[in-house]
This record gives sequence, C-alpha cells and structure tokens, in this order.
Amino acid sequence: MTDTVPNRAEVHFDRHTPEYRVQFEAITTELQQKCPVAWTETYGGHWVISDHQSVFELARDPHLLSSDHDPHNERKGYLGISIPAISPTQGGILEMDPPDQKDYRSLMNPYLSPAAVARWAPMVEDITRACLDETIESGSIDFVDDLANIVPAIMTMALMGLPLADWVIYCEPAHAAIYTAPDSPDVPRVMEAYFAMAIKLQEELENARQRPRPGLVHALVNAKIAGETPTDEFLGGMLGLLIGGGFDTTTSLTAKSLDWLSNNPGERARLAADLPGLINSATEEFLRFFTPAPGDGRTVTTDCVYAGQQLKEGDRLWLSWAMANRDPEVFPDPNTIHLDRTNNRHSAFGLGVHRCIGSNVARSIYKTMLTQVLDRMPDFVCDSESAVHYDTVGVINGMKHLTATFTPGKRLGDNLADTIAKWQHKCDTEGLAEPIARSEG
Amino acid sequence: MKAWVDADKCQGHTLCAMAAGEFFTLSDEDGHATARSHDVPSELEAKVRLAAGGCPEQAIVIEA
Ligand code: SF4
Repeated sequence: MTDTVPNRAEVHFDRHTPEYRVQFEAITTELQQKCPVAWTETYGGHWVISDHQSVFELARDPHLLSSDHDPHNERKGYLGISIPAISPTQGGILEMDPPDQKDYRSLMNPYLSPAAVARWAPMVEDITRACLDETIESGSIDFVDDLANIVPAIMTMALMGLPLADWVIYCEPAHAAIYTAPDSPDVPRVMEAYFAMAIKLQEELENARQRPRPGLVHALVNAKIAGETPTDEFLGGMLGLLIGGGFDTTTSLTAKSLDWLSNNPGERARLAADLPGLINSATEEFLRFFTPAPGDGRTVTTDCVYAGQQLKEGDRLWLSWAMANRDPEVFPDPNTIHLDRTNNRHSAFGLGVHRCIGSNVARSIYKTMLTQVLDRMPDFVCDSESAVHYDTVGVINGMKHLTATFTPGKRLGDNLADTIAKWQHKCDTEGLAEPIARSEG
Repeated sequence: MKAWVDADKCQGHTLCAMAAGEFFTLSDEDGHATARSHDVPSELEAKVRLAAGGCPEQAIVIEA
C-alpha cells in the first residue's frame, strides 16, 4: 500500500445512486473531458472508464482484463463483472475468460445466431399479437407489465427449452434482482425470491437430464468443455445469466424507447411513415442512447500503464458502455436521438469476446414489438409522469411501469394463455429449439 | 475498392449485413461475417463504407 501513484486521476463516482441516473449526461461529459480513465474510492475502489476509445481498446483485450469470477479461490480469486460483487456464484460465461468461455459460446451460438433466431419469428409475432390483444379493446396498456416483460421472457423460456408458461415464475425475481439497489432494505426479500428461482432452475437441470428436450439447458447439461462436464453450481449461474440477460434488457429498451416516441410525436410519425427504411437505424440508435446494460466490471491481470494511469494487477475496473456511447468523438451530437444515425458503432451489447450472445434475439423481439405497437396503437400516449423508472441505473437502465392510452381496437386472435399453449405444443412436437444445422460449404 | 472482414476482430454484431447485405454474409452458426468477394462492386462502395464505419469492432478492412 506504500507505493502510491503520484498522478493518479481520482474522482468520486457512484453509479448506484439516483443522482447518477438523473445527472448522467453531465457526469459523463465531465468524466470524458477531465479524466476518462479515473480511479474512484467507491465499492472498495475501482477504475472507471468513460471514453469510447479506452472502452473500445480495453474491452477487446481479454489478456489485460479478466472477467473471471472465482468465488472458491481456485484460480486468482477474482471478483467477476459486478461492482460491487454481490453474487456468491460465478455468473456463467460472462464471468469466465477464454478459452473455456469461447468453447461455451460455440456450443450456444447455433441456438442464438441470426439464422437460428429467424426461425422463431412466427412465435415472437404471435405472442406479441396476443399481448396486444389482451389490452387492445380497453384502450390502455402498461407497456412493461402487459408487453415488454412478457415477450422476451417467453422467448427466453423457448430458447432454453423450458416450459413457456413458467415465464411468470422467473419474471418478478429476475427483474427485482436487477432494480433493487445493493443498500435497499428490500434486498433480503429479493434475494429470497431469487434463491427460490435458483432452486427451480436446479430442478430444471435434473429434468433436462432425465427427460431431454431440445434447447440451451439441454446443450449445457451435456456440455464437455476442456474434457469436463460443468458443475451444477456453474450451470445454475449460467441459467441465471440467460434469464437475466433475456428478461430485463429488451424490456428496458422497449419501455424507454416507447416513452421517448410518445414524447416526440414528430419523430414517431417519421418512423411510422418509413418503418422499413428506419427501423434498423432507429433500433441501433435507441440501443446507443438508452444502453440497457450500462457497463461491465473487469479485473486487471497485469501491472501496466494505460492512458497515463498506473493499473495494477488485481485492480477492479468498470467499462461504461453507456458513457462510451455518449462520446462526442465518435457520436456527433451524442445526447440527441437521431433515428437515421450512421456510423453508429455503439457498444450497447458490449465489445470483444463477451459481446451479448443474445443480441440477435433482442433485436428481433424488439423490432417485432415496436412494429406491432406502431401498427395497432399508432396514437398511443404514455403517461410519462406516472412512469416508474428504476431508482438507479447501476445494473440496468430500466423501467418498472409505463402506462399508456390509445384508441381502442379489435382483437385479432387467441388470448395469451391459449397462444402460449399452442406454441408449447409446437415446441414439443416440432423441435423448434433444436440448434441450427451447420451450413454446407 | 477491396474490402474484407478481419475474422480475429469480428464478434458477430451483424450490423454490416444490415448496412450492406449484398456484400456481407453472416454465418448461420455464429453470425460472424465474411465478404462475398474481395472486390467491392462500384455500386456497393458507399454501402460498404457505411458498414465499415458502423462496425462496433472495427473489423472491416477497406483498401482503396
Ligand atoms: S459488424 Fe463487424 S463485428 Fe459485426 S458481424 Fe460485421 S464485421 Fe463482424
């Protein structure tokens, strides 16, 4: 502790406070201008990286930065990607380094590639249709509870090969675990619900061994990585990661962007008038601007000097995707949403070997929901005053509730429960969750 | 103009195929991109430049 670095750039940075959410743009600008690679004392001390260039370079160097979470001290005892580290177990492959991490990705890619995801489009469209049908006659909807919580959750169940109707069991614990601040009095209750979910997932591991059915769970329990079968503890963390990644992120993007569209009717009209021409760039721009998963932690593996700062082995470090996405050097006019932005090389899905493996799923579900909302509820008006944002955006930049009203319309098909049952039958009889076949040539 | 994807850098973000699907194909298995040919047809040059500018990993190499 004696070898203090004379010129270490220090700031006070606490992303788990409500102030960080409210003053995000001002804090981002200040950090980027004064010290884009800075040390902060919060949460045991860690580096915070806020400019795009540094985030880009560091995220793509898995040798300098480790994602490993090693709770049993079998390797170096590193703490993984959460700052502060809260979970007692490794969070699947997001808290693992190559080469094992790469082998797991290769195992899961054929379930999540663009071609694999395209096969699910009819289900995603039908479930979205059913969600909107449930509210369309009433003229009012909660975009979170009635739509954005449901479609991503059911799709996640489907990809994993779990019973689709079980999405309700995981929904509340998965969201609450994310939006509850580490110092909230609600933490014990939330943790309890989360552990109940973890137990349910352990049962599903057993089910997948006894009664195999296609999907990611089946692939994972049968995995052989570096000659070894993964432990149940690791698998539990991995399934928790799939649920966390699948449930909360697309939900956030949907709520935040629908709220913005409601408050920017001119831009909404422009988008609706040219949806095929704008939906791709608009989706990427919402991803950049709202960055549902705002960053990831790492651990420095070797002493080195970066951007004039002395990084030491074992130092914790926060890569802020959200702040990098507002860097004016790369994104002109960064704090304004431009639906037709080009050169939008945002990092909302992360960068480097840990790029969100579900990004194709997220884009597909999001675009389906956005398209159907604009089509069936074209005049929706969100009650932004009563919208409930997550108190803090330390883990996910999300919303708990977003109610809206619109001109009522007509139902188009079966109710949600029957629609889920229909697709469950298809999953069971048509093997929808099989991995995509290796393409020839 | 020539263009190709540096396979060591590409992480399968798929944005290049959105910007210039005529030139970049994505692997069915992992979504990583490859160029359909080495030479960029002149009518696709602008699109390929946009794809390169929008690649989050800066994995697309362009040679004039
Ligand atoms: S945009 Fe870049 S990283 Fe993504 S698939 Fe294309 S080349 Fe690969």
